[in-house]
Formats: sequence, C-alpha cells, structure tokens
Amino acid sequence: MSLLAVRGLTRRFGGLTAVDAVSFDVHESSIKAVIGPNGAGKSTLFNLITGFDRADEGSVTFDGAALVGKRPDAIVRAGLARTFQNTELFEDLTALDNVRIAADVGHPGGFLRSAVRFRLASGERDGAARAAYLLRLTGIDGFADTLARDLPHGTRRLLEIARALATAPRLMLLDEPAAGLNGAETRTLIDALYRIRDEGVALVVVEHDMGLVMEVAEEIVVLDRGAKIAEGPPLLIQKDRAVIEAYLGEECGDDGC
Amino acid sequence: MSSVKRIRLFITPYLGLIAAALAVAAVPLVTPDRYVLKVLVYVGVNVIVIAGLALLFGHAGQISMGHAAFVGIGAYTSAYLVKTLDAPWLVGVLAATVLAAAGGLVLALPALRLRGHYLAMATLGFSEIMYVVFREARAITGGNDGLGGIPYPEVAGLKIDTPVGVYLLVWGVALLTLLLVLNILRSRPGRAMRALQATENGALACGIDTVGLKIRTFALSAALAGLAGALYAHGVGFISPSTFGLDQSVIYMAIVVVGGAGSLAGPTLAAVVLTLLPYADALVPGLSKDTIAVMQDWEADIYGLAMIAVVIFAPAGIGGLLKRIRLRGAGEVRS
Repeated sequence: MSLLAVRGLTRRFGGLTAVDAVSFDVHESSIKAVIGPNGAGKSTLFNLITGFDRADEGSVTFDGAALVGKRPDAIVRAGLARTFQNTELFEDLTALDNVRIAADVGHPGGFLRSAVRFRLASGERDGAARAAYLLRLTGIDGFADTLARDLPHGTRRLLEIARALATAPRLMLLDEPAAGLNGAETRTLIDALYRIRDEGVALVVVEHDMGLVMEVAEEIVVLDRGAKIAEGPPLLIQKDRAVIEAYLGEECGDDGC
Repeated sequence: MSSVKRIRLFITPYLGLIAAALAVAAVPLVTPDRYVLKVLVYVGVNVIVIAGLALLFGHAGQISMGHAAFVGIGAYTSAYLVKTLDAPWLVGVLAATVLAAAGGLVLALPALRLRGHYLAMATLGFSEIMYVVFREARAITGGNDGLGGIPYPEVAGLKIDTPVGVYLLVWGVALLTLLLVLNILRSRPGRAMRALQATENGALACGIDTVGLKIRTFALSAALAGLAGALYAHGVGFISPSTFGLDQSVIYMAIVVVGGAGSLAGPTLAAVVLTLLPYADALVPGLSKDTIAVMQDWEADIYGLAMIAVVIFAPAGIGGLLKRIRLRGAGEVRS
C-alpha cells in the first residue's frame, strides 16, 4: 500500500482550475519529483496536500487516514512535513533554536506542566539533542549559533529541511529546495536528500533544477496547467512527447519534434 | 557534571527573580511608610497584569486593547462575592481569575481569527462594552459611584489588614506569577509563542497548534489580569469604572512596548518604573506638590513620549537594552 495516495485533487480559483483532478501515489522511503512550467499548479498542489489550502474535490490519504479538511499543524503531527518555496524561518532565532522548536512535537509541555516544570527535563534534553543531530545530518552544524536572518541562502534552505525533519515525518514535501543554490550548495542538498531518504523518510520534491530532479527522483510527475500530463521514471519522462511540448511549446509530429 | 555546576545551571535563569524577591523583602524593613507601601501595591498589581500581557503581546504577538476590562472583571467579581455575598476571600479571588479567563476565552474564540488591526479593534470593542457594564450594572458594581468598603484579604481566618501584610501578599503573588510565566517561556509553550510571532506558517509547519496556542495564551493572560484585579480590589478597598477603562488598557500596552517584545524582565521593569512615575513623591522625598501634580496631569503624555522614544531609539525596548548589557558582560568575561 502506498504511503500517500492523492486522488482526483482539484482546486479552482474563480474561472481558473489551478489543480485539475490530479492523482498519484508516493511509496515509503522513495523520492518523487513534481515538475512543470511556471504556473502549472505545483505549489497549489503542495498547499492542498498539507492543509494550507482547501481542495474543492478529491481526496488525500496518508498512511490510511484522510487528510482533506485537517488543519496544517495536525497534518504535520500525523507525519507529513513540508518546506516553503519562500522560506518561512524564525529569523530572530538561531539555526539550532529553529530546529529545536520543531523537535518539540510529541514531547510533553502544556502550560500547566511547563509553569511548574514537572518532569520536563528528559523531553528538553531529547529535543536539544535531536536538533543538534539534524543540523549535522543536513550538514549545517557549523551554523548552529547563527541567527537565521544572517545565514547564507543555501543554508537557509537546508535549515528549513532540518526543521521539517525535526517533526519526525514519514513523508516530506520540499517546495523548490534548490532554488537559488550554487553548484556546491546543490551538491550538499542532494547528499542530504539521500541521507534523509535512507533514514526512512519519503520525499516529494517540486524543483526546476532538472539536473537534481533527474539524479535523485525515482519517479516524476509532470503537471501542466493544473493537470497531470505524465508520470514515470526520469528516462521515460525525458522522452515523453507531451512533456517536451509542455516545456518547449513545440508541436510534435509523427516523425519527432 | 559537578553538583555545584548543576546548581548554578538550575539557578541562573532565576537570578533576576531572586534579586527582585530580595528587593521586595527589603522594602518594609527600610520604610514602613503607609503611602509608599500603598503605591507599591499598585505596582505589584500592574506587574501581574503585565506578566500576562508580555506573554500575549510580547511573545505570542497578539494585541489586546482590552486588558483593563479583564482586570475590572476580576475586581468586581471578587468584590461582589466577598462583600455582598459574604463568600470567603479565596473563593472570590479564584472566581475572579476563572471568570476573567472565561471572558478571555469567549473573546478569543472569534477574535483570534482576526489579525493585527482587526484584533485590536475587536478587543477595543470588548473594552468599551465592559466599561458600559461596569457603569450600568449598578446592583453589582455600584455604577459610577464605585464600590467601597471591600473587605481586606483573609486566608484561613487570618485577616491581612495591615499595609505591610497587603504589600507582601500582592508582591508574593506577583513574584510567583513571574516565576510561573518565566517557566512557561523557557519551555515548549514559550518556544511555540516565539515561533508564532515570527511566522505563523512556519509555526504550523512545526506542528504547532497555533489556534489552540493563541486561545490558551489569551485565556491565561486574561486570568492573570483577573487575579490582579481581585488583589487590587481587596488591597485598596475601593473600585470604580474609570480604573478599568480604555485608557488603562492603552497604558498596559504602552508598558509592554516600552519593556520590549520577547522579554519578561523588560516589561516588568517598565511596569515598576511607569507605575511609580505619577507617585514619584512616595520615593523621592522633598518633591514639591506642584511637580507631582504636573506629573499626574501629564501621565498619559509621559507614557506616550516614552513609547515614541522607544520606537525610535530602542525598538527592542528595555528588554533589548538588558540583553545588550548581558551580552557585553559575557563578552568581557570571555576575553
């Protein structure tokens, strides 16, 4: 059974159908990429799955439970984390504290219990240790004490991934993690993605960097004007006629493009 | 880790609080003056209100222009229960706290769907509505004439009716409140509040139930205001609607702004200094009556100027200045 099952997901904004009856599956510990031209509906699709936007039709099933209608924070706690196209970091906090906050998921700490500090010590220790570990996993532990606002762009992206990981997800949706990264930073990112996958976390990546997509993705979903026009392994997608037309705007005849 | 080091780690976050407790204990030894202690009761009451508002506005980033109304709810509830219905003092205070929290909850449920200006407007409306209630529900509140002869606090048959007793009671509760709020800030809810204030989407992505957090914080903040109101009513013995109006709510907000967002020590200090300002004669002997009169007449203007000065010269408020001093101190120790 698949970890995430998206079925007929649809979202309309007035006359525009931003996401049009999209269906696909994500399996445990796999890496899937979602690609498509600008405005194809990739980010909207992510927002629908993660509860930041409400679908008009269709269903999302994660680990056997329906997600549509749940609040974004409840979806995160259910094990589906995300990052944003425009990073949403806690700018005035250090990198470590950014991750530390997310590591609180699943630890005790209501108002009353916190006020009297009743049996908080072990949770506090675990959270701090986990945050430090995740900075190492994503390769940015050198920036632990730097404020988020002072971090280089590439590190900010990795920090958001580390923060999402701290919620102990089984699936992560990454919205353009390589946007604005240079070659070396992209390399660090790719290494981190593999390490994350090897930890047992499935990944869905929206990305424009085709080098990265073709390298890491086991399967690719292609969106165009809201609808899924192709799905398959990278080598087949590269040759897919509908995909080439969508990207290059060329009409293909029987004898090729 | 050696035990000495462990003890030091345990105590460090509370150093400010310990210093405050020593100062509180020292005052009655230095001066048993009735007027000084009475003024300091006002200060203690405001410290409790500000601790709650620093949580709500300074950390969670939610505006309330109606906190004086919660103080009023607490004051009238306890005064009515104890004076008119002869309820025990503790019951009155407890009911005041719970009722204010309930008021906060009722206001928070719809209002926290709103943001920024709209939340300010909604809480401002609440403040005005409660002001009308305080004036018009004469059977309970005594209307514009106010409610006098409110009994002194009494715990287990022990009547706390001396100025020193009331002072110690109010400040005991204030210090305890600061301790509990400090603990909340150092733990999970405090971190969640800082996240919420920075970016709500980011907080959601961390699995933080932002709606629940806002509602709980609002209710807790209102509860502390209600508690402060009850202590005020029994400590001072007389309450009237003008104490719980919009201008007082604005002053509370001004104190938190001057104190600095993201700080507890800053707003606490600001509460002490700004509350003392109109009563400067209690601390500085020999101030002429005219000077005091001018300061009291210009109270609101002084607060306004302090707020403008902070926004321009020290946007992080007193808390920001404290932090800078602390960092500089740490740097010198290291070098």
